[in-house]
Amino acid sequence: MISFERFTLDNGLRIIFHKDATTPMVVVNTLYDVGARDESEDKTGFAHLFEHLMFGGSINIPEFDTPLQMAGGENNAFTSNDITNYYDVLPSKNIETGLWLESDRMLSLAFTPKSLEVQRSVVIEEFKQRYLNQPYGDVWLELRPLVYKEHPYKWATIGKEISHIEDATMEDVKSFFKKHYNPSNAILCIAGNIELEEVKSLTNKWYGDIPGGQKPVRNLPIEPKQLEFREKTIERKVPADAFYYAFRMVTRRNEDYLTVDVLSDALGRDKSSRLYLSLKKDQNLVSNIGAYITGSIDEGLLVISGKLNNGVSFEDLDAALWKELSALTTELVPTNELERLKIKIQTSKEFNDQGLLNRAMNLSMHELLGGAEKINEESEIYQKITPEDIQRIARETLNKTNCSLLKVKADNAE
Amino acid sequence: MPNRILQPELVAIDSIDFVAPKQHVLSDTTSLYHMKDVPNETSRFDLYFDAGVCRGQKGIPSFVNGLLMSGTKDKTSNELQSEINSLGGFLDCGISIENSVVTVYCLREHLPAIFKTVVHAIQGVTFDKNEVQEYLVDRRQSLKISQEKVGYLAQQRFREKLFASSQSYSYTLSVSDIDAVTIEELRDFHKKHYLNGLNKVVVVGDISDEVITEIKDAVTPIIVSSQEDFTDAITNEPGKFEQEKEGAVQAAVRLGRTLFNKNHDDYLDFLILNTILGDYFGSRLMTNIREDKGYTYGIGSMIAELNGTGYFLIATEVGSDVKDATLKEIQIETERLQSELVSEDELELVRNYMLGQLLKSANGPYAMTDLFLSAEIHGKSLKFYNQALASIRDITPERIQELAKKYLKWDDFSIVAVG
Repeated sequence: MISFERFTLDNGLRIIFHKDATTPMVVVNTLYDVGARDESEDKTGFAHLFEHLMFGGSINIPEFDTPLQMAGGENNAFTSNDITNYYDVLPSKNIETGLWLESDRMLSLAFTPKSLEVQRSVVIEEFKQRYLNQPYGDVWLELRPLVYKEHPYKWATIGKEISHIEDATMEDVKSFFKKHYNPSNAILCIAGNIELEEVKSLTNKWYGDIPGGQKPVRNLPIEPKQLEFREKTIERKVPADAFYYAFRMVTRRNEDYLTVDVLSDALGRDKSSRLYLSLKKDQNLVSNIGAYITGSIDEGLLVISGKLNNGVSFEDLDAALWKELSALTTELVPTNELERLKIKIQTSKEFNDQGLLNRAMNLSMHELLGGAEKINEESEIYQKITPEDIQRIARETLNKTNCSLLKVKADNAE
Repeated sequence: MPNRILQPELVAIDSIDFVAPKQHVLSDTTSLYHMKDVPNETSRFDLYFDAGVCRGQKGIPSFVNGLLMSGTKDKTSNELQSEINSLGGFLDCGISIENSVVTVYCLREHLPAIFKTVVHAIQGVTFDKNEVQEYLVDRRQSLKISQEKVGYLAQQRFREKLFASSQSYSYTLSVSDIDAVTIEELRDFHKKHYLNGLNKVVVVGDISDEVITEIKDAVTPIIVSSQEDFTDAITNEPGKFEQEKEGAVQAAVRLGRTLFNKNHDDYLDFLILNTILGDYFGSRLMTNIREDKGYTYGIGSMIAELNGTGYFLIATEVGSDVKDATLKEIQIETERLQSELVSEDELELVRNYMLGQLLKSANGPYAMTDLFLSAEIHGKSLKFYNQALASIRDITPERIQELAKKYLKWDDFSIVAVG
């Protein structure tokens, strides 16, 4: 059970406070309700580039990192297709430095041309390091547009192509900030050994005078229902053939979301999962195989991916895989298997909740999704999932017409 | 309206509570460390074996580590995995140059049962022919994938140069060694280094004394009888070594030298020098090479410790066209630390940052256990971290310069670039 208090400032900033009396550290976590899905198609990669610029100095403070380090703290941030999340971890005695820094960059950035130029190159190097200079690194750049035809999930957070990052202008940067970075579009979570009254007075002091702004209205294109099996093969200079089966699934807020999560665990969470036992251990078709969900807020994906053993064809794999998938639609998952999946989920939740930063980030995310209290409801929802639920969801999800397959063919396989 | 120009007043960190786990001596060579004060249901155990890469040849230590759960005469690998997974356990078998460590994370109520399964699995591995075959095929494929990564290739070349004087430390896995290994060799290594190789046990979690006693009894048969020494005399081969990787759009750079560990008098002060140079976001290397030039997504430096020695490393991945420019800037930064005194402002920043990070490293039972272990391995108690606090407070610009002159000579470095 993770306890918390919640209040909202007059400018619309939502604040979650989580007290933990056992730690000398404090976390200041700021979630902005903006991600790559909010970009326009000709300017992709922008939410992420912007995240980098948030460290280039704000209106009253020339540098973000130095004062935080001076306070004994450290920070980082990440951007996804859905959100942008910034966090500071520092000794709790120095919490005010965290609030001073975060509130000033919510108020306004410095927008220096140097920062834009440098971060543009840094992000291009990040693009190369993660997506271009790794075997299989560009898979998601290929898979997304195969699955999504309308919804902005069709491009990756890093962007569709490097040229979009090269072409970003200062004007783009400023209008992005104006539109998305304001109190009404943010959730602030403070976690540590402090008192609610102090949190209230400090947040009022530092955030109270920031103009509220307008929460942008999100009006994203709906991805039409997929009606046909899709397949694409790319050839790459990699040592082994790889496969990615992507199935469309329900949204993050849908009541069946956690059931799809359990379904993906049954398929491929660990070395006791169905696909691992059948396709690897019994039939020796693959060197590795796993299944997971993307965790997106809008309609996400259940993905099954792995690599073929030498001499095994994509067709061999395909036949064996669909046999396993169809077993889940025709037969109920045995109770002991479901118990195994649930205890694994419970264990990872206990470990996840151990970390102060995780708790702060999860509370913020749940607040965005509909209420931070939901963080304490998840375990019970998982526990109530039945074999019949899994079967129903398997029937809805694991269909050929709901599937997109990306094959990476090794052009120098032995 | 708050004053947004001035930083709020800072409170200095005056002391940190370091908490040691309880030590249970199992033999002259081996102890069990138990951190009991965990305020939730989580738990972890680690089994350390004197079975690191340096104890064998041709990849054998690494293969044996990877096959520890491959089945006993009573249980197949699938059955072992099922026993662990059905109790919600997360198992990891890891190997480094000097150690093999088996770690399990689970809820504390299931720790006794999972512990039993894991110890039996390790004791009874049969190295079944099919399991070994399957494992080696997988290793072959994953090695080939790694060999497509500039970061992996540079790390391997760097190890070869860094540990140039010791064949067992500089070993790099090759496909031909995977093809050549025999089951006999695996069994021999296992017998020597696992059945008589346990040299540390760590338990974190609110576990009863009865269970700790059971654990002690269970591991007694596999405790190492006499601990072999680790080398303390390794020197790197200085010079620049470049390798082409066709089609690469970035080059991986690794450079450094053999150095020392916590047992050397210069260690704590060098740690501060290392932080200034490359171990935090505001470091000289990050500020120059990422935040000013935009050559890379990230660059960092570190000190890595071994039982008897240690080494210093700078690592980055940069655009292929700026590889030489990056090396030039790294050289400038290492030389600037020798020719110019660090300013008081910068030193104050690094002091505060390091104190905050040390506070964080001692935060919570898991972090605290790891902090304890990293001193214990060098025969140090937690007093070592009070010395660290003192060293951070007392460091001077002159001392930093003295250490830079002594240890950051460009000509002493092994420099590797692949791309």
